[in-house]
Amino acid sequence: MSALEIRNIHKRYGEVETLKGIDIALESGEFLVLLGSSGCGKSTLLNIIAGLAEPSGGDILIGERSVLGVHPKDRDIAMVFQSYALYPNLSVARNIGFGLEMRRVPPTERDKAVRDTARLLQIETLLDRKPSQLSGGQRQRVAIGRALVRNPQVFLFDEPLSNLDAKLRMEMRTELKRLHQMLKTTVVYVTHDQIEAMTLATRIAVMRDGRIEQLATPEEVYDRPATLYVAGFVGSPPMNILDAEVNASGLKLDGCEEVLPLPAAFNGAASAGRRVKVGIRPEALRLAAGSGGPRLAANIEVVELTGPELVTTATVGSQRITACLPPRTALRSGSAHAFTFDETALHLFDPESGRSLRTE
Amino acid sequence: MTGTWISTRAWLLMLPLLVVMTAVIGWPLVDTVRLSFTDAKLVGSEGDFVGPANYIKVLTGSNFQRALVTTTWFAVISVAAEMVLGVLAALLLNQRFRGRTALRALMILPWALPTVVNATLWRLVYNPEYGALNAALTQLGLLDSYRSWLGEPGTALAALIVADCWKNFPLVALIALAALQAVPRDITAASLVDGAGPFNRFRFVIMPYLAGPLLVALVLRTIEAFKVFDIIWVMTRGGPANSTRTLSILVYQEAFSFQRAGSGASLALIVTLLVTILAVAYAALLRKAAGAS
Repeated sequence: MSALEIRNIHKRYGEVETLKGIDIALESGEFLVLLGSSGCGKSTLLNIIAGLAEPSGGDILIGERSVLGVHPKDRDIAMVFQSYALYPNLSVARNIGFGLEMRRVPPTERDKAVRDTARLLQIETLLDRKPSQLSGGQRQRVAIGRALVRNPQVFLFDEPLSNLDAKLRMEMRTELKRLHQMLKTTVVYVTHDQIEAMTLATRIAVMRDGRIEQLATPEEVYDRPATLYVAGFVGSPPMNILDAEVNASGLKLDGCEEVLPLPAAFNGAASAGRRVKVGIRPEALRLAAGSGGPRLAANIEVVELTGPELVTTATVGSQRITACLPPRTALRSGSAHAFTFDETALHLFDPESGRSLRTE
Repeated sequence: MTGTWISTRAWLLMLPLLVVMTAVIGWPLVDTVRLSFTDAKLVGSEGDFVGPANYIKVLTGSNFQRALVTTTWFAVISVAAEMVLGVLAALLLNQRFRGRTALRALMILPWALPTVVNATLWRLVYNPEYGALNAALTQLGLLDSYRSWLGEPGTALAALIVADCWKNFPLVALIALAALQAVPRDITAASLVDGAGPFNRFRFVIMPYLAGPLLVALVLRTIEAFKVFDIIWVMTRGGPANSTRTLSILVYQEAFSFQRAGSGASLALIVTLLVTILAVAYAALLRKAAGAS
C-alpha cells in the first residue's frame, strides 16, 4: 500500500509554472528526499503535500485517500520547518503537545505522549523552558518532537537542518537516521544538501526547474546518474564533465590525443562520429602506476589537502579535471602525471538533452 | 581634556533648546505651582498666598470628582474600543484580497484628519435637524423621531466616544498591522498543521507578536484620552449639563471661563500628576514586557 502518492502535480503562479507534472509513489516507511537547488519547486511540492498550498492540477493521496481540499490538520501529516516555527510563549512541553491539545487529547494521555517523545529526543530536562531559552539544536529537537508526538502517516521536513552549524547538522543528521530506523516512519524531506540526501534517503528525487530529473536510490543516483544535471549536483567535488567524440576505436577527448575505451554499458547508444559528454567522478581517478588500464595524461595545476584527501586540479589537453587522491600522494603543481580509472567509472551523456546514454 | 571639551560642546549645542524649553515649559510650570497656592484671578488681581486652600477645595468639590469619573469613562471605553477595532481592522487588512492596498490607505484617513475637522464632521452627523445618523436610524425604522444626540446628557458622552474612536482606531490598526507583518509564516503554517482554529491561532501565534506593540499603542492612547480636550470642546463644550465635562475641560473653564487662575492652576497640576502616574505605571509595564520577551 502506498503511504503517499503524488499524481501528476502541477503548480502555476500566473504565467510561471513551478511544478510541471510530478509523479511519485511512496511505500510505507520510505524516506524520500526531494533534492534540488533553490527555486526548483521542492518546497512548493512539500507545501502542496501538507495542504499549505493547492496544486493547479493533479492529485495527492495519503493512505490511498485523496486529500485535495482537505485541511492540513486533517491530512494525517506532521511538518518540521527550517525556522523550527516554535510557539514563542509556550513551554517546550506545550509546544510538543500543541497538536494533541488542539485535537482535545485528554491531559494525562497528552502528558505521557509528550514525555515519551521528549525521552526519545533526549530533551526531558528542557520541558519547562521557553523556546527563547534553547539553543538551535535543542529547538530543532523540540520541532521534531512536535511532529513525532502525533504519530502521523507522513512526516514532512522542510530543510530542517539548514539553520544549524556544520557540526550540529551532522549530529542531527545521524539522529534523524537513528529515529527513522527505529520508528520506520514515512518521510518526505526537502533539502539542497546532497550529503543529507545521500545519507538519509531510501530514495532521492532530484528536482530541477519543476521536474524530477531522477527518482532512485542514493546508490543509483550516485552510480548511474540519469542526467548531466544529476551528475553535477550529486557528489562533492562534482563529477568531471569532458567534451568528447565517439570514433571507431573509442572516445576521443577534445584537445588531447588519448582515446578512451567505450564502456560496455554505452555500447549501443554511441555510434562513431557522435558528440558526447564524458563524466568521471574525481574520486574514481587514481595516479597511473605501470601500464595497465586506460590512461589520461595530465598537467597538475593546483593541489589542495583537505585532510582526508588531496583535491587535485589538472589539465587534460585543453580541458580541466579534478581528482581526489589519497592525502599522502607526492604531487607538485606544474608536474606531469597520468590518471587511470576503471572503465565502468565512465558516464556518457547526450550533449543536447543531457540524458545518460546508458543502455543497460 | 578632550572629554571636557566634548561635554562643553554638547551643552553649548543644547543650550538654545534648553533656553526655549525653560521659557515655554519650565517657567510656566513653576509659575503654575506658585499660582496654585494663591487666589489670583486671570485678570486684575495678582492674588494672595492662601496655602493649600485651592487643593482642598478642588479635591473635595463635586465638580472635580464628577469630571474624574467622566474622564475615566471616556478614556477606558474609547481606548478599549479603539484597541478591539484596531486589531480587527488590522487582521482584516492583513488578509489577501483585491483592493487591499487602497483600503489600507483609506483607513489612515480619519487619523490623518485634524481633530477639529473630525469633530465638526461628527457634529454634522449628529445634527438634530439634518444629521445623517438621525436620517439613517429613522429610515431604517429604528428611531421614531430625530434626537439631539449631543444635546441629551444620556447620549452625549457615548456620541463623543464614537467620534473619538473613529478618529483614533486607525493608529492602533496601523501599529497592529505592522506587528502582524512580523508573525513568521512558518509558525502560522505549523499551527495550521497542528490543527489550531482561528481563535487559538490568534491566541498562540499572533498575540505573542502583537502584545508588545499593542502595549505601546495602549500607553499612548490612554494618556492622550485622559488629557482629551479639543474634540469635546468643539462638539459639546463639556455640556449638556456638564455630562461631558472632562478634567481638561474643567481646568479650562475654571481658569479661563471663570477666570479663577489660582484654583485653575491647582486643578491643572492635579491632572498633570494623574497623567504622570499613568505614564510611570505604563513605563514600568513596558519595561517588564520588554524584559519578558
